[in-house]
Amino acid sequence: MRVFVFRLDTKSGVPPYLQLIRQVRQAVLVGYLRPDDRLPLIRELAGDLAINPNTVAKAYKLMEHEGLVVGRPGQGTFVLSSASSSMSPGTYSSLRRGLESWLRRAYAAGLDRRGVDALISTVHDETGAEGVA
Amino acid sequence: MTQLMGSGRNESGGVVEQTAIRTAQLSKRYRRTWALRDCSLELPTRRVIALVGPNGAGKTTLLRLLVGLIAPTEGQIAVVGHSPASNTPEALSRVGFVAQDHPLYRRFTVADLLRFGRSCNIRWDQALAERRLSDVGIPLHQKAGTLSGGQQAQVALALAMAKRPHLLVLDEPLASLDPLACREFLQTLMGAVAEDGTTVLFSSHAVTELERVCDYLILLNRGRVALTGDIDALLGDHRLLVGPRVAGPHRDVPNVIETRHGDRQTTMLVRANGLEVAPGWESHPVGLAELVLGYLRRDAVPTVARSEPISQVPS
Amino acid sequence: MIWLMWRQHRAEAVALGLFLAALGTILVIGALPMHASFRNDGVADCLARGTPFSDTCVEVMARFGGEYGGRGALLPLLGIIPFAIGGFLGSSLLARELEAGTWQLAWTQAVPRMRWLAVKLVTLVGVTIALAGALAAVTTWYRGPLDAIGGRFESTFDIEGVAPPAYAAFAFATAAASGLLLRRSLPALAAAFVAFLAVRAGVSIWARPNYQRPVTTNQDVSNPHDWLLDTGLVDGSGHHLTFAEENAMANAARNANMDLTGYLDSHGVARWDTYQPGDRFWTFQLIESAIFVAVAAALIVMVAWRVRRRAL
Repeated sequence: MRVFVFRLDTKSGVPPYLQLIRQVRQAVLVGYLRPDDRLPLIRELAGDLAINPNTVAKAYKLMEHEGLVVGRPGQGTFVLSSASSSMSPGTYSSLRRGLESWLRRAYAAGLDRRGVDALISTVHDETGAEGVA
Repeated sequence: MTQLMGSGRNESGGVVEQTAIRTAQLSKRYRRTWALRDCSLELPTRRVIALVGPNGAGKTTLLRLLVGLIAPTEGQIAVVGHSPASNTPEALSRVGFVAQDHPLYRRFTVADLLRFGRSCNIRWDQALAERRLSDVGIPLHQKAGTLSGGQQAQVALALAMAKRPHLLVLDEPLASLDPLACREFLQTLMGAVAEDGTTVLFSSHAVTELERVCDYLILLNRGRVALTGDIDALLGDHRLLVGPRVAGPHRDVPNVIETRHGDRQTTMLVRANGLEVAPGWESHPVGLAELVLGYLRRDAVPTVARSEPISQVPS
Repeated sequence: MIWLMWRQHRAEAVALGLFLAALGTILVIGALPMHASFRNDGVADCLARGTPFSDTCVEVMARFGGEYGGRGALLPLLGIIPFAIGGFLGSSLLARELEAGTWQLAWTQAVPRMRWLAVKLVTLVGVTIALAGALAAVTTWYRGPLDAIGGRFESTFDIEGVAPPAYAAFAFATAAASGLLLRRSLPALAAAFVAFLAVRAGVSIWARPNYQRPVTTNQDVSNPHDWLLDTGLVDGSGHHLTFAEENAMANAARNANMDLTGYLDSHGVARWDTYQPGDRFWTFQLIESAIFVAVAAALIVMVAWRVRRRAL
């Protein structure tokens, strides 16, 4: 049974290992991945997506560093219970829609990608928000 | 020669090969032309290495030298601890090779080809080969000449992998494959790397699909090595600087690989870490394709200069 | 590797085998009545008694010759068979692998190049010599009666004895070498064919008459088993008559209403022969075979040396 389906966007300019990490983070956030779910084995993921197994290994190792997952020798890599959050898919979707419409307004007003990033950073710093990924 | 046999010792004292391939001033001349010149490489094990370059750069020559099919004019080679010139069964069994256009004995059936492999190799994993072929749906009793290009590539790969080699060398394996066949081929290859820790070296003249599969790069241009290294490290080391148009090379910027001028801006590909960007300039990360193109354009034979007339800049 | 050799070359081995078996069968079937007649009709006995032949013998031998003599005419076509065998197998050694790119497959398995080459050479050359030798044996046996009467040195040297297998080995080596140099099967075969014809013609025309010094006598001792190289007329003072002078003699004899031999006798003119005696046949066979085997060996050494040096 496949727990989670990964996809890779080669055109996005984001390195593959980072895409994997972000997808796992978001899945845990939304609840598609739950504590003690087993991530695909490195060779399964490499064979399915046709990506370098070292890339998968690197992503898994970084996530282990972050405390997102833990590797159990001989069994696989599992999501850690401390990593989960209890956001519902509905909340996640509405947050995402809100952000999309804000972004559209920002671009329409003339901000470019860098301007948006700069604005977000500034507001982040000023509000001192936590849990930045 | 012993200096080329790169190996170290692991914690328990066993010999561990750290360098899959080492060459020193490797050169090959055909009559008057140098197909390869002064090629010195040190390639690590357990990686997927991309050999990239335009047609005629010398990729096939380099690969054939590494597997011992042709002899060098100058220089030395050590491949997984052996010299290809030694031509011993042990040395030959450590390297699996798939030549360009995946040649097979066309009158043989797939089963015949497996039998050929079994009778000509020291290590042979018949079960592995049969499993890989059934995974991609290739019937054993069909003649190789009647298979499609993608299927022939898979058969050639299965033959090379069933030897259980330490190193797999593939010459343009994806060139004649349609997107689906290409994807299946890479899936099989990545599965093999994951399971056996095989080092893979393959050549390609297209760069686009390489970033997801390869983690080490050799860029060959006109017989010489233009760039080599771990791909993540290379991408981290290079930046694309964009700023207002300058007349000549920027004095303070070292290691400029390539400069391109637009009407009002200049773009520079630089190899520098932690570069402080001058005011008015921006620093962007570089993708693998841009990096390769930058180096290739740097070394290109100059064509008629496309000069932007200075008189058009308003004084 | 034995299985590989068989699997790779079985098509041509079977084709050649069937073809030669058919050819051999035709020869054997054709020979049986001829051999029977030779024994039963007294020709063998006549030859055993030797010259001069009695009138009955002359008649018996004439009848035999009339019935079976014409069969020898097509046999020289068999001279192409050594090339068919050797050239075919020789071009399958390297040209085919180089053309299809499969040399890159063959030489990256765990069998070292030189061992691969050695096994292939020994097998293919062995098969070449065996097949050509078998056909030559059948042809020699077939020709037995005809050779006993009419000799073999002059007309059928090329298709009897040990020479055909040597020619076949030479054809093999030439095709293997041209295959290595040209890297394509058909051009290699064509080049080897041209070389084969040229060398065989050259050797048989210029070299073979001189393997041993020919014998020249001023007596007509022509014997069908000898190989007559040259003949002519010589007068009493030792002068060899020119063609014009011979013609003049013949005309004079006709005018004098005498037969030519008597007329020449009366004028002290005798016939001289330059020839190779019939008992030198096997010596010449061995010399010619040695030449072709030596050239074949040299070509094969060249091929092996280039493969070893990977100068392809």
